[in-house]
Amino acid sequence: MRWLALHLPMLSLEAFCATLRPDQACRPMVLLADHRVSHANHAAAERGVRPGIKRATAMALAADLLVAEADPARDAAALQAVVHAALAFTPAVTLHDTRTVLLDVHASLRLFGGAPALWRCVLAAIEPLGHAVHSAAAPTALGAALLARWRPDRRDGCDQRDRLAQPDRPDQPDRPAHPPPVTLPAHANDLQALQALLDQAPVWLLGPGREHWDALQGMALHTLADLRQLPRAGLARRFGEGLMLELDRARGLQPDPRVWAVLPDIFESRLELYARAENADQVLAGAAVLLARLVAWAQALHARVAAFTLCMQHEHHRSATVPATVLRVELAEPALDAEHLQLLLRERLARVELAAPTLELRLHCSHTVAGHAPNGELFPTRASAAEGLTRLLERLRARLGDTQVQRLVPVADHRPECASRAIPAQGGMALGPARMCASPDTAPLPLHRPAWLLPEPMPLPERDAQPWLEGRPLQLLSGPERIETGWWDEHPVARDYFIAQTEDGSLVWLFHARMPGEVGEVNWFLQGRFA
Amino acid sequence: MNGLPRSPEDLHPALWRAHQMARVSSSVLSSQFLELDAVLPGGGWPERVLTELLLPHAGVGELRLLAPVLAALQRQQRSVMWFDPPAAPCAWALGALGIDMRQLVLVHSRAALKGRARELLPAADVLWALEQALKSGHLGAVLAWLPARLPPDALRRLQLAAQAHDGPAFLLRDAQMRSRPSAAPLRLLLSSAGPDLLRVHLLKRRGPPLAQPITLALHPVLSAPVLALAHDQAQAKAQTRASVRHP
Repeated sequence: MRWLALHLPMLSLEAFCATLRPDQACRPMVLLADHRVSHANHAAAERGVRPGIKRATAMALAADLLVAEADPARDAAALQAVVHAALAFTPAVTLHDTRTVLLDVHASLRLFGGAPALWRCVLAAIEPLGHAVHSAAAPTALGAALLARWRPDRRDGCDQRDRLAQPDRPDQPDRPAHPPPVTLPAHANDLQALQALLDQAPVWLLGPGREHWDALQGMALHTLADLRQLPRAGLARRFGEGLMLELDRARGLQPDPRVWAVLPDIFESRLELYARAENADQVLAGAAVLLARLVAWAQALHARVAAFTLCMQHEHHRSATVPATVLRVELAEPALDAEHLQLLLRERLARVELAAPTLELRLHCSHTVAGHAPNGELFPTRASAAEGLTRLLERLRARLGDTQVQRLVPVADHRPECASRAIPAQGGMALGPARMCASPDTAPLPLHRPAWLLPEPMPLPERDAQPWLEGRPLQLLSGPERIETGWWDEHPVARDYFIAQTEDGSLVWLFHARMPGEVGEVNWFLQGRFA
Repeated sequence: MNGLPRSPEDLHPALWRAHQMARVSSSVLSSQFLELDAVLPGGGWPERVLTELLLPHAGVGELRLLAPVLAALQRQQRSVMWFDPPAAPCAWALGALGIDMRQLVLVHSRAALKGRARELLPAADVLWALEQALKSGHLGAVLAWLPARLPPDALRRLQLAAQAHDGPAFLLRDAQMRSRPSAAPLRLLLSSAGPDLLRVHLLKRRGPPLAQPITLALHPVLSAPVLALAHDQAQAKAQTRASVRHP
C-alpha cells in the first residue's frame, strides 16, 4: 500500500477568499468560531492577531480587519473539489479530517510513471483550485496524514500552533508557483523509515493526543517515541484506547479501514458571495471558482463538459423577490478547458442585464460527454481548423444568441419563401446533402432564382400596364414562370413570375398575383433581386 | 554610383512607384474574371487585407462577382462567413452559383435593433464578431455588409485584425461612402451595366489609377435569346431617344 496525503492548512481562509472581490483578498481577515478567532491570514498575523483571541481584541489590534464566520459547509465544498480532482488519479480517495485528503495511489503508480510523476500530476490538477497544499507519501494512511500535517522536511523550529496562524511562506517547496522538486517532500518509502520518522513526530499530531496536550506535556512526553516507550496498559487507562490504536495504525501494526469517496453523477456546487456582485466581472470572478471545481469533477469522470447552468440568486429589491437569473451555456464541442468555459460565460454574462446584485451562485452540470478531447495538432491541419471554427461559432453564439448564427438549408419547395430555411449553426461542419452545383467545367446554366429574397414581397405600383419600382418603369424581360402550389397548406400561392430590368440595368424578380386573396389594389410584387 | 541601387523599387519589396503596380508579397486568389485579374495588383483578390466593395443598392451582381472565389475556397474545405446579409439569401440560387451551403455561416448581429436604426446605427456586435472571425484565422473568406455609420477607427481595427485572416475579406458598403477615407487598400465601386453585366470602377488600388471602368460578363440570369432581345430593345430605345433629341 502506498498513500499520498494532501493537507490543506489554509483551507478555511482560501475558501472564504473565493467569495470575496479580488481587491479584498489582500486585506487582513479572520474567521470566527464561537466568538473567537479560529483562523487569521498572514496580514492579520502580522498585526498580532492570533487564533484563540476574542473578536474585540482582534478588532483592537487591526481596525480594518475583515471579520467573517467560519463556515464548515463552505470548507467542505472546497475540500470536495480537491477530492474530485484526486479521483482522477485513483478510485481510492478518502477524507481524513476536515482539511486532509488521502489517496491510495498504490495501483496508479505504474500508469503515471512513478511516485514523483504522479505527485506532480496531482498537484497540477489541484492547482487551479487555488489551495496551498502540504503533501506527504507513506505506506500507511494515517502515517501519510500525520507526515503531511507535521512536514518533517520543514523542521525550522516553528511550532505547529504558530504555523496555523501563519500562512505559507514563500520558501515552501510545493507552492504551485515554484517548480516542484523531483522527490516527494515528506515521505517514507517503507515501513521502517516511516516508523523512524514517526518516532520523532510530536505527540500532538495524534488526534486524541492533542486534547491531552497539557497532560502529556506535564509528563514530559514530546515525541511519539517517548509515548511508545511507556507501558501500553497504563497509557490506555489514562488516555483511552484510541490513542494507542491511532499510534498502531500510523505505524502499520493495525488495519486501518477507510470509506472511499464517491463521485456524484451530477455536478452541483454553490458559492455564497461575501461581497455582493454588482457587475458581470464580479460574478465571473466567483463563477471562475465554481468552474475550476466543475473541471475537477469532469476530470475525475474522464469526461468533457457539454453544457452547464449558472444560476444567480439576487438580493431582494425593495422587499420584492427578484427571480434568479439562469444562464445555460451549451458547447458545440465538449471541452474541459476552464479558460474556454470562462470565456463563453463571459460572453453570455455580457449580454445579460443583472436585475439586482447577486448574492449567491450555483453551478449545475449534468450534461457531459465521456472520453478525452482529441489530440491537439502541432501544425495547422484541417481538423484543427474545424475545431477552431467550432470555437469561433461558440463564441459568436454565446454573445449574439443561438439563433443569430445560422446555416442555410435548401428545401424542396417551389415557393420562394419556403425554399430555404435558416437553421442555427451547431458544429464546425454541417452535415447535409452533397453540393448541388454543377461542376465548374460545364457552361453555366441560367439562374432561375435571385440570390436576395425580400422577407415580404413588396407591392409595386402599376402604371400604363407596367410595374414601377422607385419611380421608374420595369422592363419585363423573361416570363411568365407560373408557380401555383401550396393549396394543401396554409400558404397557397398562384403567381406568375417575371424577370425584369430596372433603369440602371440590374435584374429583379417580380410576380403578378393571380389569386383573388392576394389581390388588393396592387397586382405586382417585388420578390427578390439578382445579386 | 556603384553603391546605389539601380531603381528605387529595389530598396524594399513594399516600395512601388505611382505608375507601377505594387508587388504583392502575400498570395492572391484569382477572381476567375480575366479582365478583373488583369487590373488587380498581384492578379487577384488580395489575402490578409480588407477589400471594400461599394454598391448603389443590394443586387447589382455582387454575389455573382464573388461566387467564383468563394466556391474555389470552399473546394479547399474552407468555410465562408457572411455578416448581416441585406436580405434573405436563397439557397437554390447560391447552390447554382457553386456555393456550398454546408460551409457557409450567416451571422446576424442586428436582431436587437429595430426599425430604421437597423440600417443606420453602428452595431458594436457586428464589429466585434467580424474582428473575432478575422482574428481566428480559421475562415476562408469573410463578407460583411456594414452599417453606414461606423466609428472612425473601426475600419483600421478591422484592417489590423485581417492580417491574421488567411483569405480575402470583403466589406460591402453603400456607394455614398466612396468619398469617405478608408483603410482598405483595395476599393471597388460596382454598378450595373445592363442585364448580366457589371461595371467595376477601381477607386483605389496599389498601382496607377484606372480611369476607365471595366465591364464584366456575369453568370447569366437570362438565356441567350432573351438577352439578345433585351439588347435589341435597349438599342432601339437608345435610337428613339437619339432621334427625339436630334429630329
